[in-house]
Amino acid sequence: MQGWIRDLNLARCLALALLFVAGPVALADTGYSDLDLGIARFALDTGDDAKALRHTRQPDTEHHTIIRARALLNTGSKTEAIALLDRLINGDYYRGEAALLKSGLVNADKDNRTPLLELASRKGHGDIRQQALYKLAEIARKSDRPDRVGQILATMDSGYWAALGYMNIAADYGKRDLNPSRALIALRVAMAMAEEDPVRQRGEALKAQLLVRAGLLAYGNEDYDKAISFLEKMVLESYSTPQGLYLHGLALSAKGNQRDAMQSWHRAKKFPLAFSGVAESWLGTGRGYDLAGYLGQAGEAYLSASASYESERVTLRKLADLIHEKGAFEAMVAGAGEAKTEWFLADSRTLTQPRSAYLLRFMEDADAQQALQRVRDLTNMLSQMDQQKHDLTVFRGVLDERLNSRAAATPDGFHPFEQRFDSTVRRLSAVRHSAAPGSQHAKEIKQLALTLSDLRQSADRFTDRVSNRNQRLQELSGNVDNALAILGRNGQRAEGALEKANAELDRQMLAYVESEAGRMVVALEKAEQQIAHLYEYLALQSLERGKP
Amino acid sequence: MGGTFHAIRPAIRQLEPCSAGLQKSIGLVCALLSGLVLAVENVRAENLAELDREILQIKSEVASLSQDLFDLEESVLYPADTQIAVFLALKDRDGLELDSVELYLNGNPVSSHLYTDRERESLRKGGVQRLYIGNLPHGGHQLEAVLTARSANERFVRREVRHQFRKRPGETCIQMTLDAAAPDYEPTVSFQEWK
Repeated sequence: MQGWIRDLNLARCLALALLFVAGPVALADTGYSDLDLGIARFALDTGDDAKALRHTRQPDTEHHTIIRARALLNTGSKTEAIALLDRLINGDYYRGEAALLKSGLVNADKDNRTPLLELASRKGHGDIRQQALYKLAEIARKSDRPDRVGQILATMDSGYWAALGYMNIAADYGKRDLNPSRALIALRVAMAMAEEDPVRQRGEALKAQLLVRAGLLAYGNEDYDKAISFLEKMVLESYSTPQGLYLHGLALSAKGNQRDAMQSWHRAKKFPLAFSGVAESWLGTGRGYDLAGYLGQAGEAYLSASASYESERVTLRKLADLIHEKGAFEAMVAGAGEAKTEWFLADSRTLTQPRSAYLLRFMEDADAQQALQRVRDLTNMLSQMDQQKHDLTVFRGVLDERLNSRAAATPDGFHPFEQRFDSTVRRLSAVRHSAAPGSQHAKEIKQLALTLSDLRQSADRFTDRVSNRNQRLQELSGNVDNALAILGRNGQRAEGALEKANAELDRQMLAYVESEAGRMVVALEKAEQQIAHLYEYLALQSLERGKP
Repeated sequence: MGGTFHAIRPAIRQLEPCSAGLQKSIGLVCALLSGLVLAVENVRAENLAELDREILQIKSEVASLSQDLFDLEESVLYPADTQIAVFLALKDRDGLELDSVELYLNGNPVSSHLYTDRERESLRKGGVQRLYIGNLPHGGHQLEAVLTARSANERFVRREVRHQFRKRPGETCIQMTLDAAAPDYEPTVSFQEWK
């Protein structure tokens, strides 16, 4: 009996159940509100906006609505998103978040933006409130109202947004004041705030940037000890490290400590020349030797600086050729294996590769980020469309196959099932009495009876389904054809847009590479000038020595 | 030398109106050039704004098409009567950091997943992940999951859990909920069938 049960359970049930393949189709969502909400949330957080939209088609709660609104914003459906956000702004639970999201859509309209941000700061919590306050502080700062900025920043919690606010106000003080103390105080506060950022990497990157700013400010005001104390706190693997090391060397050199200064510059020289402060560190080493009285080494240092600038010019020329040949995206992003746009989160490995370094420096500019984002979005969309086209073609084949296999799905083709079903029920009834009550066999027989009852239920619906089957399959087939046609049109549009986006990225990248080549020429000229001065001085010295 | 200077003064005077005219012309050319540069910049900015609008429209259509495709996929590949979906959620959101999940149906591996920080964070915030969707015949089945994770007290844990269930007509949704409560952060998995 055991063998018979196993046989029925696996092979036969599978065969019988697969007869109902053309049964009722799955709904767009699971039909369970809480489950749909969780799935939509996961999809939104992991970048699958289409899935998030699909599981919030009928947003019945505010939680569903905010997820849908976010997904709509990510996919560019601004009008529908604004309608949902307006609903939420007048709702109960997501007023702050909705107001903040909507304020991002009316960026240019300051009169509408401020009340929305004020609402977000009043009704929002955590990061939402902090972001709203930061943006309000920025509006006040740009309107030249530093007192108001101070008031807003004072109400903020420690963390990334407050640190950014203090950094910006420090930049204003730095430009406005002759004395750096106000700017330095603001920078110190910003550092303390950045340390509290729960996102560790982001906080560290910002702190390194703040230390460089503080060091530069102190150095500019000839407070070298203060500059050194700031710059000594820099981590050695941040994006701002080369610039920090260069400034550290300058401050040490100004104090007369040429040996330590050269050590800092030597460390900075290990980074690619693309980074700010590296080209200067090469020159600094020569100057350090010069000031320390080692003129021979100074000459060698200037010569090696000159050689490294020459070789960098060659690298930049090759890079420009590569951009002309393959396009900027392929040459700089895809080729470098670096598709991230979050330049400030780059790891230390990317800091040591020249091409990645140039890409990171290029990406500091907002226009460059936008240009790259366009190409990346369109490339992703085109690859998504390719996948969709492939899937739709497969579905088309499956549907055609099912439409052509009429015999198996007609009520006539169902008779063998009925016969087998009846015989199975009879066999099960016969063995039911032979199993001892409560035994393992009795339990298995009970389970089989339940399965048979489920199969009967499905079989009873079979005739109705069969009559609708072809109509349903044709309907699905029509949907596939329609989707394929839309896909073809979208593909053409995306190809056209990608061409334009690539042209713009190439233009910006080439201009950047050219400007970098210009920077190298200036550095090279400086190095050659130093060499000329040095040799002139040495020649005069030897002439002096040769005099009777 | 002084005589020569006096001799050339009228000539300089004659040149003055001419130089003023030249200055005016240069000024005009500069203004025209800067106007032209500005116009070119404006045209480029407008073209880029148009491109951004076009990209947003395509993005929106791709998302809409993706939804249609999901529907088609489920209706063609996973008919409701035989459909089964397995989901994962976290109950104690700070107790565990998931590393991986492997899923077996009737002893056959059907899904495995390695978690990224983004996915962990989403689960922590209440997200629910669909681990598997497929077809099963009516009747009794066994679901087995192997989970590896790091608990809040820095222990690496591996757990195997099994769940017996019966596939009945209609969609079957099984949710696995992972819990690890303080103080020992011992992971437990509960199964829930959505009905």
